[in-house]
Amino acid sequence: MTPPIRIISAFASIHTARSFLLFAAAMSGPSLVRAQAAESLPVLTVEATPIGALPPLALPMPASRDHNYWGFRFQVGQRRERGPEDLLTAAVGIDYQVAGGSIFGLTGGHQWRQNCQPSINDCSGHNLYGARARFNLMTGGSTIAGLVGDKAATSTLGTEFGFGYAPNVTESVHACTFDAGLPLSIAMLERIRLVTFVTPGVVWDIDCSSANIPSLRSYLLGFGLGLQQLAFRGLDVHVGAQRIFRGTTGMQYGISITWVRLP
Amino acid sequence: MDLQEKAFWARQPRFARALRVSVHTALCTVALVIAASCHHKVTIEQLKPEEIETTLFLIGDAGEPDPRQVGSPLDSLAVQAAAAPERTLIIFLGDNVYPNGIPSEGAAEWADARRRLDAQVKAIPMGARGIFVPGNHDWANATPFGLYSIRLQEQMIASLAQGRNVRMMPSNGCPGPATLDVGRLHLVALDTQWWLHSFIVRDEKSNCPASTIGTVTAALREQVRPQGDGRVVLVAAHHPLMTGGIHGGYCGVTGPFRRFGGNAQDILSGSNRAMRDSLRSAFFGQPPLAYIAGHDHNLQVLRGGRNVDYLLVSGAGAAAKTECAVRMRESYYVSQHRAGFMRIDIMKGKGVLLRVFRYPPVGTSSLAYSRWLEVR
Repeated sequence: MTPPIRIISAFASIHTARSFLLFAAAMSGPSLVRAQAAESLPVLTVEATPIGALPPLALPMPASRDHNYWGFRFQVGQRRERGPEDLLTAAVGIDYQVAGGSIFGLTGGHQWRQNCQPSINDCSGHNLYGARARFNLMTGGSTIAGLVGDKAATSTLGTEFGFGYAPNVTESVHACTFDAGLPLSIAMLERIRLVTFVTPGVVWDIDCSSANIPSLRSYLLGFGLGLQQLAFRGLDVHVGAQRIFRGTTGMQYGISITWVRLP
Repeated sequence: MDLQEKAFWARQPRFARALRVSVHTALCTVALVIAASCHHKVTIEQLKPEEIETTLFLIGDAGEPDPRQVGSPLDSLAVQAAAAPERTLIIFLGDNVYPNGIPSEGAAEWADARRRLDAQVKAIPMGARGIFVPGNHDWANATPFGLYSIRLQEQMIASLAQGRNVRMMPSNGCPGPATLDVGRLHLVALDTQWWLHSFIVRDEKSNCPASTIGTVTAALREQVRPQGDGRVVLVAAHHPLMTGGIHGGYCGVTGPFRRFGGNAQDILSGSNRAMRDSLRSAFFGQPPLAYIAGHDHNLQVLRGGRNVDYLLVSGAGAAAKTECAVRMRESYYVSQHRAGFMRIDIMKGKGVLLRVFRYPPVGTSSLAYSRWLEVR
């Protein structure tokens, strides 16, 4: 091969490579967008349902085995530093504590997008609904009381399962999520109980719309502090934070106020 | 927050901002706790002895005193009771002899069973009254020999009394209710193991005034009926109506699953529930001031609800047997893993003061809790 031909060939190679790269970029553009959508939509669906939108709660305080108690709940949660916008959620719920242990609850609320730019994103809010069952597996005092040096300490280990649903999270996307967790609470002090809690869990999003969103599994960690038996013995206040270990989901902070109706 | 501060925080990394929010939240929570705790302090009520009409000491599950020295809480109870024995009533709330009640004479365990009962009888000062309520262990640990073991215990109490005013209530293996009136006090005693026992509970020697569940419930309803203004009605039995101890399905991995075990001694069992429902139905519309029990080896003061004002669990009479208790939503006071007893002073006015003593003491005082019980 003569030198001019080599030069032309080299040019051709550069052109070919450049063209290939341009073509690949052109082709991969929509794929990257699709990949991002595939990654971010399941996360959004988790953030949009009560499982990821509302603050975590401590396990229920032990109570009489002869009574079933109704509880009424108000929760506010804000998920921050998740990207361009924050998510603010407010919800009310009703709980039924059976024989001093397990709780079955229903939740309904609304989520708003904060700091949202209407020209770029869909800024409309949406409703959200959830159901949750929490089972106290072990409630005791001795070991934890010794560790924390409080003779009145009680530790509770439980398990919980929740289902969340939020219609129209974005256009034609309905969010469905299911989670399972293994919460642990430690309550201290005598009259008003100071409770610290941690709620590790795993959440699955389920495609319940026609958007063909791939289902993903994410891990959650909630933690917080609470005061139980405030005022007239049935009032509990919890502050909590939650992290979803997937993508840029930031942190969620919130407060829950629960009133248990005692006889 | 002014503009400068806003600009400062905008420059901080995310972690710092998250930390700031967390710190604010924690500080607010601590402030709330401190503010709330200020409203609740255990008060040590100093009463003038001349203002007290009747004093009751409540101690349960004391049937395992240390063989080398009696020690607390029996010793401490005896000292307090000796201060004014003429107005003092000591109630032993069952499980007076561990592990199997009084065996037949000649059995190897007989002498030790006698020692266990003797330690409790000797704690009753001369001039004071002593009452022994039967528990499941006194019914030969809920075995077929139970009815005979209860009668043997009653006979042994009489033989150990040596001039003391002491007796078993209800007597002769009967379910009760047996009653005692001292001033404003109307004490109703029940043998709750009679309800739960799976073996013989009556024979030709029984001659009980009430010997079926229906007649016992009806008699109890009659006995808790208010009998004049200012009367203090207390019901004493071995099994609690509510507890945050092991018999309530708390404390330990097996807790909530004990309902599947069907142990009649547990709150979660069907037979125990049926008994409690009957007792509560007898209290309906005429709640006694307190239902006093033992069974769980801890000290608990609980809110009773509609059918009874207060529920007391005082089953920490033996230091060797103390157990865990959890604080429930109905709990006013809980003491776990400490021996102790309760004291109720019925005042000459209208007040009724409850005090809880536990050992070893917290700080210098063994008085752990006090509360004025409100008479409806």
